[in-house]
Amino acid sequence: MAHDSHDAHDSHVYVPEIAVDREGKEHVVQGWQGDYEGGKLGFWLFMLTEVMMFGAMFLALTYYYTLHQQDFLIASASLNRWLGGFNTVVLLFSALTMGLGLLKMRHGDVKGAKLMIWTTILLALVFLGVKAVEWTAEYHHGIFLGLDALQSGNEHSKPFGQILFFGMYFTMTGLHGFHIIIGIGLMLWLLKRINAQKVTPDHNILHFNIALYWDLVHLIWVFVFPYFYMIGAGDIAGGVVHGH
Amino acid sequence: MVTSYLIEKVGYYKVLIGLLLLTVVTFSLPEVVVSKYTFSAQMFIATVKAWLILMYYMHLKGEKTIGWSVLFSLLIVAFFFSIVMIDVNNFQYTDVSHITSPTK
Amino acid sequence: MGKSYFDETHCAIGHPKSTFMQWMLTVDHKRIGIMYAVVMFTFFFVAVAAALTMRFELFSPGQQYIEAQTFNQAFTLHGVIMIFMFIIPGIPAVFGNIVMPLMIGAKDVSFPRLNWFTFWLYIFGCIVALTSLFNFNISEGEVLFKFADTGWTFYAPYSLNTDTNVITTLVAGFILGMASILTGLNFLVTIHRLRAPGMEFFKMPLFVWGIYATAWIQLLATPVVGITLVLAILEKYFGIGIFDPSKGGDPVLFQHLFWIYSHPAVYLMILPAFGIMSEIIPAFSRREIFGYRTIALSSASIAGIGYLVWGHHLYTSGMSDTAKVIFSFLTFFVAIPTGIKFYDWIATMYKGKIILATPMLWALGTIITFAVGGLTGVTIAMVGADIHLQDTYYTIAHFHYAMLGGVVFLLFAGMHYWFPLVFGKMYNETHAKIAFALNFIGFNVLWFPMFIAGYMGMPRRYFDYLPEFQIYHQISFIGALIFVTGLIYMFTVLIRATKNGKPCGPNPWNATTLEWHLPSSPPPLENHTKVPYVDFRPYEYHHGQPVVKFDENMRRID
Ligand code: HEM
Repeated sequence: MAHDSHDAHDSHVYVPEIAVDREGKEHVVQGWQGDYEGGKLGFWLFMLTEVMMFGAMFLALTYYYTLHQQDFLIASASLNRWLGGFNTVVLLFSALTMGLGLLKMRHGDVKGAKLMIWTTILLALVFLGVKAVEWTAEYHHGIFLGLDALQSGNEHSKPFGQILFFGMYFTMTGLHGFHIIIGIGLMLWLLKRINAQKVTPDHNILHFNIALYWDLVHLIWVFVFPYFYMIGAGDIAGGVVHGH
Repeated sequence: MVTSYLIEKVGYYKVLIGLLLLTVVTFSLPEVVVSKYTFSAQMFIATVKAWLILMYYMHLKGEKTIGWSVLFSLLIVAFFFSIVMIDVNNFQYTDVSHITSPTK
Repeated sequence: MGKSYFDETHCAIGHPKSTFMQWMLTVDHKRIGIMYAVVMFTFFFVAVAAALTMRFELFSPGQQYIEAQTFNQAFTLHGVIMIFMFIIPGIPAVFGNIVMPLMIGAKDVSFPRLNWFTFWLYIFGCIVALTSLFNFNISEGEVLFKFADTGWTFYAPYSLNTDTNVITTLVAGFILGMASILTGLNFLVTIHRLRAPGMEFFKMPLFVWGIYATAWIQLLATPVVGITLVLAILEKYFGIGIFDPSKGGDPVLFQHLFWIYSHPAVYLMILPAFGIMSEIIPAFSRREIFGYRTIALSSASIAGIGYLVWGHHLYTSGMSDTAKVIFSFLTFFVAIPTGIKFYDWIATMYKGKIILATPMLWALGTIITFAVGGLTGVTIAMVGADIHLQDTYYTIAHFHYAMLGGVVFLLFAGMHYWFPLVFGKMYNETHAKIAFALNFIGFNVLWFPMFIAGYMGMPRRYFDYLPEFQIYHQISFIGALIFVTGLIYMFTVLIRATKNGKPCGPNPWNATTLEWHLPSSPPPLENHTKVPYVDFRPYEYHHGQPVVKFDENMRRID
C-alpha cells in the first residue's frame, strides 16, 4: 500500500485544496496524495492483522501446551537451542542495521542507507541458512512433517503432545521464515525504488514502512524463539537439559 | 541536524545493548530459576523485549491513534486467550476424551 | 453540465482508450463500488438458485430430484457464496466505496490503487472458488460435481477427510478474507485522515460510523479465520496434527478459531446495514435523528462486544460449562446496544413528517423482520434452550431473518436510496413498491413456518424429513417462489431505470448529508468540486426542511 502515496499522476505537483468556513477562515483539506501520516497508519493497521494471525497461532499453541505440558517440555528440550539463539542475535543486529539505514536515509545519506539495507539482506540470508541447517538436522533425526514420528499409530509415533509441538514448530517457524523471504523481496524492491529516486530523503514512507515490517518480523521471533526453544530448558530439578 | 542524527544513532545502539542483555538473560535464566517458572519467566522477558522494540525501533512512542489501535488489538488477543484458557482448564471430559488420554 | 464519472476516470496503470479497459483499471471509488455490486449480485443469484434447488427437493419427504450428496453440496455452495462472496464484501464494498468518501467530503479513499487491487483480489478469490466446483476427467470426458460438502463452516475433522474439493474452497476463503481486510484497512485510514475540515467524529453521518466500526472487525477478526483456514490447509497437506483427533488435535479448537472470526463477521454484516437505516429514517421522517451519539456509540460497542461472544456457537460442541455460562451472559449484552438503536429510530419517526418512499418502505419492513431475527437470537443465546434448538431449522430461520430480513433488506433499501445518486436517474416508484410488497410477503411466508418446524425438531442440513414437517416445507416453498419473483421484479425495475429513468437532479430526497450536495448528477470524477467546511450536524431539519444550504462554492448560505 505504501506506493499508493505516490499520485497516479506524479507529473504535476499536488496542491492541497482550501475550505473556507463562515467566518472566512481558511482550512487546508487533507488529500490522499502524499499523506505521510496516512501511509504510516495504514501500514500499522496492516501489521495489526499480522499480530492477530500469529496471535491465533500462539493461542492454538497455548491450548495444547495446557493439555500436554510435559510432552511440550520434552520436545522443546530436544531442539537445538544454540542455533536458535544464534539466529536471535542475527535478527537483532539486522533490526539495528535496518533502523540505521532509515536514519541515514532521513538525514540525506542515501549511499549509507543502501549499504545498511544490503547488510540487512545479508543477515536475513544468514538467518535462513541457519534455519535450513536446523531443519535438515531434524529431518535426519526422523522428525519432520510427514515422517513416521509425527504420524499416529506406528512404532515410531511420538506421544500426542510432541506431535502437536513439532507440528506447530514447523508451521510457525515456517511461516516466520516465509515472512523473512517476503522481507528480502521488499528490501530488494526498496533498493530499486531508491535507485529510481522514487524514494528520497524527503519522500521516505516506503522505506519507513519496510523498516517497520522488518521490526515486526523480529518481534514475532522474539516470542517464537522462547516458546519453542526455551520452555524446556530447565529440568525438574532446576538444572539445564541440553539438546542434541 | 547532525546532532539529532547522532542522538538517534546512539539511541539505536542503546536499545541494541538492552536487547542483547535480555538475550543473555534468556539463556542464563533456566540455570537459575526453578523450571516450574521457566515458562512464565521466558514469556516475561519476551514481553520486555517486545516493548523495547515497539517503543524505540518502531517509534510507537508519541503515536496516539496508532498506539490506541495497537493496544486495542492486544486487548482483544488477550481476551481470546483468557476465555479459551478458561475453557481448556475446565475441560470436564478428560476421562472419556480420546484426545487427552489416547488408546488405553 | 460537466462530465460525470461515467465519462472519465483515473486508472491504476496507464491511460487506456477503450471504455472496457477504463473500467477494468479504474481507481475511482464509485466505479469500483458499482463493479462490486455487479459481481456480488451475480453470485447472489447463483446462490438463490442453489437455495431453490434445495426447496424443490424439500417439497416432499424422500428423494425427488437430487441425491443426498448433491444436497449437501448445494447447501455448502449456497452458504459459501452467500457468506464469503456476497454478504461479507456486502454493504462496505458497494456503498462503503460509493458513498462513504462522498459523505465525508473526500475525493477518493486513502489508497485508491490498493482499492483497485483489492477488487481484483476479490475477483481472484471468486475464480478460485469457482474452480473448486468441478473436477474434469479429461480421458473419460467426464465432469464431476466435486464442490465441498462440509457446510460453509468446514468443521474438522470431516472437512479433513472428505474427498471433495475442500482445499480450493479454503484457499478461496483465505483470498476473499484478504480482500475484506484490505477494504477495511483502506476505509479506516480514509475515515481517520480524509474527513472534510471541521468534521469531527461526532459530526460524521451514521453510515460512516457503521462503516468505521465494521472496518475494525474486518481488520482484526478476519486474520484469525485466515490463519485458521491456512492451518486447515497445512493439516490436509502435511498432517501437522492441529485439528486431527488421531494425532491429539482438538476439533473444538477449530470451532473456537472459526467462530472467533465468524461471529464478529455477522456484526460486520449488520453494522453498515444499521448505518443505512440511520440515513434513511431521518431523511424520510424529515427530522433530526434522535440520539445521534447513542447510535454512533452503540455501533462501536456492538463491534466491541461482538468479539466476545463467539462461544455461543459451541454450546453443544463439548465446551466447558464455565465457558458456556460466560458466553451466554456476554451474548445477552449485544441485545442492549441493538435495542437502543431500535428505540432511537422509532423516536426519530415520532411526530416526523413520514414520507413512504420506497427506501423508507424497505427500512420499515426491516424493522419488523430484523426484530424477529434479533429476538429469536436472544432465545438461542440461552444455553438451555439452545441445546434443544441448535442445528434445527429454528436456528436457520433465525439467521435468515437476521441476514436476509436484516442485512440484505437494508442493502436493498440502500440501493433504492442511493440509486438516483449513482445514476442520476429515478426508478419507477410504483413498480418498486410492488416489488417490495412481493419480497416482504414472500420472505415471511418463506421463513416463518421454519421457526415452527425447527421448534418441533426439524434438523438443519437434512435432505429428508418426517411426513409431519411436510406442510411447513410446502408453505415455505410457496414463499420462496413469491420471494424470488419479487427479487427478479425488483432488479428489473432498477436495471430498466438505468436506461429509461427520469433525470432527477443531485438531491431528489431532500436529504442533508454531503453526498446529496454534489455539483452535478451523476457526480463528477473527483466528487465535490469544492470541499465544504463542516460546522453542522449531519441531519439538521427545521419544519421538515433541510437547514444547511450551500452556494456553488460549497460555502454555507443559510
Ligand atoms: C432466496 C433466499 C434464500 C433461500 C430460499 C434460502 C434457503 C436456504 C436453505 C433451504 C438452506 C438450507 C438449510 C439446511 O438444510 O440446513 C439455507 C442455508 C443457509 N443459508 Fe440461505 N436462503 C436464502 C438466502 C440466504 C441469504 C441472503 C443468506 C446470507 C447471507 C443465506 C445464508 C445461508 C447460510 C449461511 C446457510 C447455511 C449453510 C450451511 O448449512 O452450511 N441464505 N438457506
